[in-house]
Amino acid sequence: MSESVQEQVFKIIAEHGKVDVGQIKPESTLKDLNIASLEAIEIIFDIEEHFDITMPDRDPDFDTDSAQGLVHAVNEALAGKQDEAGGNA
Amino acid sequence: MRRIVITGMGAISACGTGAAPLWEAMREGRSAIAPLVPPDPDAVMRMKVAAQLKGFDPTAHFDGTRLGLLDRTAQMTLVAAREAVAQAGIDFTSGNLARRTATVIGTGVGGEIARDEQCRKIYRDNSPRVHPLSIVRMMPNAPASHVSIEFGTTGPAFGVVSACASSNHAIIQAAAMLRSGQADAALVGGTESCFSLAGLRAWEAMRVVADDTCRPFCKQRRGLVLGEGAGMFVLEILEHARARGAAILAELVGVGMSADAGDIVAPSADGAAAAIRNALEDAELAPERICYINAHGTATPANDPTESKAIRMVFGEHADRLAVSSTKGVHGHALGAAGALELVAAIGALREDVIPPTANFLDPDPACDLDYVPNTAREQRVDAVLSNSFAFGGLNAVLALRRPAL
Repeated sequence: MSESVQEQVFKIIAEHGKVDVGQIKPESTLKDLNIASLEAIEIIFDIEEHFDITMPDRDPDFDTDSAQGLVHAVNEALAGKQDEAGGNA
Repeated sequence: MRRIVITGMGAISACGTGAAPLWEAMREGRSAIAPLVPPDPDAVMRMKVAAQLKGFDPTAHFDGTRLGLLDRTAQMTLVAAREAVAQAGIDFTSGNLARRTATVIGTGVGGEIARDEQCRKIYRDNSPRVHPLSIVRMMPNAPASHVSIEFGTTGPAFGVVSACASSNHAIIQAAAMLRSGQADAALVGGTESCFSLAGLRAWEAMRVVADDTCRPFCKQRRGLVLGEGAGMFVLEILEHARARGAAILAELVGVGMSADAGDIVAPSADGAAAAIRNALEDAELAPERICYINAHGTATPANDPTESKAIRMVFGEHADRLAVSSTKGVHGHALGAAGALELVAAIGALREDVIPPTANFLDPDPACDLDYVPNTAREQRVDAVLSNSFAFGGLNAVLALRRPAL
């Protein structure tokens, strides 16, 4: 059974933030979920490892990003990876 | 109480070899931050800029046998120590001074480059052998050991570790020994060089590093910029310095420390304020006497407002009359060497009656509401100053200095 990108990202957030995955809404920010900045960095790292992508550097305010924003960034990074793979083929 | 004075200083940093080029760059707000030269030319780096020491040729300072023992941190320390000792004009062979001299040097991680070189051999090259001097190059006490060997100082000697507060903690530890009578003189300072690929990757992963430049306290700040270097100082008991007719650069009048005992990285205004208060109390200085604070001012989103708040908590209304600047926009964040490089700024301000500016400053941030002396130095009488260092791990160390009494 394949999970959507959103499901996978939410699961990673839930594991690190010790919150129930059902609590996470697309508009929730990590701050809303009481996730400290250090945990936020680890979440980004886990997402990178999980999808084998590099998330773009942004203003270093992850805690104000919404969960949906993270999913969006992952989708963009995955699309970039596909383009690259396509280019190499 | 035995009074402590500083009679020699030396430094090496992205601004060049010597305390003078560093101080001149600080005073002019001239940034040494430049595009990062990665340790591995093929590595794709997220980190874009750094304050690296360039053109340093260790063979100009050390013979081959000696050089084989020295990580870059120890090399830089020795170069800075030679400058400090030469300025102080102190002769450690005179009387029993050698055994009455302490050597205390801070570093955040120790011989990172030496460690990284051997890791590459093991994990990349699958070599079963590492260099037999790996341990003595890597150990964080190596800089202190090499300084004691070079100058023959046989008093208490060791390294001090507290991340970005290492230099200040080392200076404070030596000051305690001078006050208590365990030593009459001390060689103190800090050193750091973390520009290994592994070190840079670790900083990149933390996402606290700016991709443009270091802009402390201003609205557009995007994080810290890594620097490297070493700063070394000769401390002496006032009577000792006077007896040998030494020129006194500044008096170290007070020290303050605290631990946040909270978050491992997020700074606490209460913790910082406690260290500042302790330094003022120890110096028996009323807050109104302080003219200038060389701030920790890393330019991370978290540090700068927290430090500003801490200063306001301690100084009240006087906070609006204080000059506060961070010189990290000039020399970068030299981590374990930060406090030592920044002590050069504090001493320079006292000696020349000028406040070194906060470089790279664009627009004010409402969360940082002090006078940061943006971009241009300010001439004013400077009688007493503080130098703040706050470390990951919530460890705070503050120095209070005064111009020497005539």
